[in-house]
Amino acid sequence: MRRYAAAVIAFVSSVRPPERVASLQTRLLLAASLVLLAFLGLTGLSLERAFRNSTLAAIQERLQAQVYMLLGAAELDEAGRFTLPEELPEARFSTPGSGLYAQVVGRNGKMLWRSPSLLGKVLPSWPAPPAPGKTRFVIAAPAGTTPVFVLGFTVNWEISTDQYRRYTFYVAQSQQPFQEQLSSFRQHLWGWLLVPALLLLLVQGLILRWSLKPLRQVAQQLKAIEAGEQTELSGPYPRELLPLTDNLNALLHRSQRHLERYRQALGNLAHSLKTPLAVLRNALEQPTPAAEIRDILRQQVHGMNQTVAYQLQRAAAAGPLALAKPLALEPIARRVMASLAKVYADRSLQFEVQVEPALVIHGDEGDFMEILGNLGDNACKWSRSRVILRAHGAAAPRGRMTILDMEDDGPGIPTEQVPLILSRGGRIDPSVAGHGIGLAVVRDLVEEVYRGTLEIGSSPSGGARMRVCLPS
Amino acid sequence: MRVLIVEDEAPLRVQLAACLRQQGYAVDEAEDGKVGLYTGQEYSIDVAVVDLGLPHLSGMQLIQHWRAAGRRFPILILTARGRWQDKVAGLEAGADDYLVKPFELEELLARLRALLRRAEGWARSVLHCEPVRLDLSAQRVTVNGNAVELTSYEYRLLEYLMLHAGQVVSKTELTDHLYEEDFDRDSNVLEVLVGRIRRKLDPTQTLNPIETLRGRGYRVRLQRAPA
Repeated sequence: MRRYAAAVIAFVSSVRPPERVASLQTRLLLAASLVLLAFLGLTGLSLERAFRNSTLAAIQERLQAQVYMLLGAAELDEAGRFTLPEELPEARFSTPGSGLYAQVVGRNGKMLWRSPSLLGKVLPSWPAPPAPGKTRFVIAAPAGTTPVFVLGFTVNWEISTDQYRRYTFYVAQSQQPFQEQLSSFRQHLWGWLLVPALLLLLVQGLILRWSLKPLRQVAQQLKAIEAGEQTELSGPYPRELLPLTDNLNALLHRSQRHLERYRQALGNLAHSLKTPLAVLRNALEQPTPAAEIRDILRQQVHGMNQTVAYQLQRAAAAGPLALAKPLALEPIARRVMASLAKVYADRSLQFEVQVEPALVIHGDEGDFMEILGNLGDNACKWSRSRVILRAHGAAAPRGRMTILDMEDDGPGIPTEQVPLILSRGGRIDPSVAGHGIGLAVVRDLVEEVYRGTLEIGSSPSGGARMRVCLPS
Repeated sequence: MRVLIVEDEAPLRVQLAACLRQQGYAVDEAEDGKVGLYTGQEYSIDVAVVDLGLPHLSGMQLIQHWRAAGRRFPILILTARGRWQDKVAGLEAGADDYLVKPFELEELLARLRALLRRAEGWARSVLHCEPVRLDLSAQRVTVNGNAVELTSYEYRLLEYLMLHAGQVVSKTELTDHLYEEDFDRDSNVLEVLVGRIRRKLDPTQTLNPIETLRGRGYRVRLQRAPA
């Protein structure tokens, strides 16, 4: 048993490529983690971007409000010069280095007013004045100066009915508070994304471990089978694994049954050869007349021959195959019948094969040749003119079954003789050639190996009909 | 009748050859497939007994080679494995019958006789050319129901001629098929034997069962009885 299981396991593991490959769990974990990280990363980036944009929009709006405030406060004095009051509603314009700055220039870039906050400050060059009625927002951060946001706004100031003056108002704000706000947001954002990411990875790892548990179980059980601690994979297994575990179990059972058949055949063989050997030895040791020794020899050799033939054929049965493709029955039937026709050419028998062309069997070709050959051989021996093989599928209590009928038009088999001909070495008529083991072999194959039935009945023409029913 | 035995197990081959010679067959022996192939192609074999498990060239291949080369003599295969799969494969390769080892010599002889007569188109084991009947199994000859006593040599000759009833059989063919290699081909043994058979079958010289065709051979001129 251990050796068979080891062979099965060796077969299964040989399916894996020889080089070391990442485990399923590693692959799944790696792939899922990458997807998760990419997703969270993109989420973070877009959140950051949205925050930055909305903050910038707010800043622009505030600067615009400052421009309007300055515009509202600006006046022309009697001389027609542009002035702004000393005390502005926004105190930061008056405080040097406050971070909020303003200046107003005339048509030719002539400086008209600078906020007191600009005192001693070098700001990046102000952007070109926009067209009248338009604003221009610039993020200026040249090296060596304080980075600022600048908003420029140009107005045409109506002095009299057809006289205009053009002023451009600039308001600038230091970028420092914005940058601080942004980096604090960033810290919070990534912090909050990292925690769920780690949690998700952990959960995912646990899910994978849980999902792959049946596979680990298969591996463990295979090891146990190899070690001889158990004989099959014991479930329950999830639906996706059932084809694998069922087939493995079928394979294991098959080799087990095979082995049992071999053992049984060997045991039977040894057992049933010992009696004739004992008889022969006794005959040799006693002063037996030559003629009697001859008789004894003949009898015992005949018996031993039968035993050997029967047990070996039994052991040779392959049995239902777990992973083999279904076999079409018709070609097998035709080959066997053609062979019989050749062997019984003398008898000018008519052979008919009526097998559904689509009928398939799940088993070994040799076993089915054995069944059909022995049934056919028997039919040929008794038939007068015709041997018919019919086969068809039929509904069975559980699933479907295949029915094989071998019919002859011979004398038929009386009911009381059925047990005799099914027994090993049982022959109705010893003058007909044969060992008398054919039907016993068929019965063993059908009933013990394929779990079917063999019935002996009458054919429509009054001859014998051997019916084999096999579960599909 | 000339039998070729291709069997690698010497004890069985020697035993078979002795048994067949005793039954009046001319026997060729081959201990492997290659020798068997050569003998089957170069000699006038009537029937071959081939073991399936042979060294050098398997029995199956041997049969296929013979058949591919157009050799038509009947072949009986011997197989140790009684599986139908092997039997079917052997018969499909071109064999005509099979025997599973171990077998009884009687069974082998019966199968060979059946193969030989089938090859010549006889359906029954009694060759019947009215009024002569030759029973292949019992090796008995009757004319109009009266038994005719023949020696073994006479019987074998008549058997060959009767199997080929209606056909001209040359002397060379007769010596090839009935006698072993060391037979003296120039002697007039055949003429003497045919003469004796004629007298025994037809003491009154009214039947003339075997005609002599000068320079060509002999022919049983009695009609085969319908089966």
